[in-house]
Amino acid sequence: MSTLAQPEVARATHLDVTGRGLSPAGILRSEWIKLRSLRSTWWSFSIIVLIQVGIAVIFALTTSPMTTEPTTQQVTQAAVSISTLGVLFSQLVIAVLGVLVISGEYSTGQIRSSFMAVPNRLPVLAAKALVFAVATFVVALVAIVVSYLVTMPILAGNGVDAAPLEPGLWLSFLGAAGYLVFIGLISLGIGAALRSTAGGIAASLGLLLVVPTIFQLIPAEWAGVVASWLPGTAGQSLYYTGSTFEPWQALLVMLGWVAVTLVPAAVLMKRRDA
Amino acid sequence: MIEAQSLTKRYGQRTAVDAATFTVRPGKVTGLLGPNGAGKSTTMRMIVGLDRPTSGSVRVNGHFYAEHSAPLHEVGALLDAKAIHSGRSAYNHLLALGATHGIGAARVREVIDLTGLQAVAGKRVGGFSLGMGQRLGIAAALLGDPQTLILDEPINGLDPEGVLWVRGLLKHLASEGRTVLLSSHLMSEMAMTADHIIVFGRGRVIADAPVADIVGQGAVTSVRVSSPQAAELARLLAAPDVQVTSASGSTLDVAGVSAATIGGIAASNGLVLHELTTVTGSLEEAYLRLTADEVEYHTQSVTPEVVR
Repeated sequence: MSTLAQPEVARATHLDVTGRGLSPAGILRSEWIKLRSLRSTWWSFSIIVLIQVGIAVIFALTTSPMTTEPTTQQVTQAAVSISTLGVLFSQLVIAVLGVLVISGEYSTGQIRSSFMAVPNRLPVLAAKALVFAVATFVVALVAIVVSYLVTMPILAGNGVDAAPLEPGLWLSFLGAAGYLVFIGLISLGIGAALRSTAGGIAASLGLLLVVPTIFQLIPAEWAGVVASWLPGTAGQSLYYTGSTFEPWQALLVMLGWVAVTLVPAAVLMKRRDA
Repeated sequence: MIEAQSLTKRYGQRTAVDAATFTVRPGKVTGLLGPNGAGKSTTMRMIVGLDRPTSGSVRVNGHFYAEHSAPLHEVGALLDAKAIHSGRSAYNHLLALGATHGIGAARVREVIDLTGLQAVAGKRVGGFSLGMGQRLGIAAALLGDPQTLILDEPINGLDPEGVLWVRGLLKHLASEGRTVLLSSHLMSEMAMTADHIIVFGRGRVIADAPVADIVGQGAVTSVRVSSPQAAELARLLAAPDVQVTSASGSTLDVAGVSAATIGGIAASNGLVLHELTTVTGSLEEAYLRLTADEVEYHTQSVTPEVVR
């Protein structure tokens, strides 16, 4: 037969593929394209900016003027708490987006395309987490800084004149943006392990909203301790001074939470059939 | 080149693929044929590493799929047309897929043009018809200009023009020396597209041979003879391995003797023939015979790989 004349392994392709192939930079680029090419990303990030700034403005307009001359620390705290007040709400948006970023791939079947391109799978999860974390951090920081800049003149009229160069102020802003990143990553881990949008959102919102309430209702002392270690509680020490943990301790607790959700998710992702 | 060795996949009690051993060679179109649930899709999923074999192995060009440093340049696969995020545009889907391998926008536009998706490339995939989804899936499979193509039911949902296009494309790709594996439950389609066929039945490979052999082996080739002296002819043809059935008074269906022999017998006995036609069984008949009763067929040794 004529097919015998065909060379057995000769490369019959037209594209010059020499030296090309999978690379960490390529996988990161791919995940960035995926993140930016979905409407849900832009909706979620827009909502976060709107919530942050909107809530900050409403609270700034309704605070009563200081009667005595406030200390620098008081001024900084007031500025931080008003600029980051929206985090309590935008964390819910980030939790949903964190789940969707991965569960959306499972529910649509996209994950099979992703795994065929990157058969080791784990680089997909790692790149997805990194891209999502950086994007969330940037958006959260912008939202917080804009909140601060918009509310600064309003607060100044009330005698709260935060110096923009106060380092504590910026550390808190970074901490609050970091908090949202951690919540997003924990949700991403939950979504990757459960592979379902509905289940993932229920679990991650449950962890943020329901679980703390349950432990607070239990009248035992240990329950209070547990409650303080939950991500939604411990994480606030990243940007509020005078909470249970020092910021560096809170950072470790949050890293621990990210690990206990993302590591099992990675193991399951590697093991299960897609 | 795809080589499966005792490839087996079990889901709990159910065995989807049962010790399948086969080789898909470059330079021709190989068809994976079998009824629903025969294990075709599962086999394809194991080839590209989506499902982990329970036992056995399958290699592409000598390596496990995950071992390739550039999987999209080795294998392009269309496993199901909806393996795409419905909220993303076709263009962005291909761009994101290609980015993993450093494949840029120029190649993405090439495959969009090749598959005729120019008009809808910027639209979200969620609104695509099945046919457009198939075209996009084929575009994704071709993105890395791979040496091996694996397509699960590629003509599903395509219009007649699309079917012709896919058929031509696959033959062309094979003629370039690539390995092309496609599955279909449409026997007629296989007969027109494939050079070689692997038939699956209940997870087992029940036949693995060139299309012509499958047709020849599974279907009975008979000769239709029409003669005013049909009864006389039937008596003369009678032999242990010859079956003569009578369709009507003057027409006989004869199996086991060639048309030439029948003509010779008729001539030497001075019998008048009105018709003498060889009736070749279709691939469809062959396939139905092969899959009708798997038990019968895996006890009897089906010609494994015809050596040419």
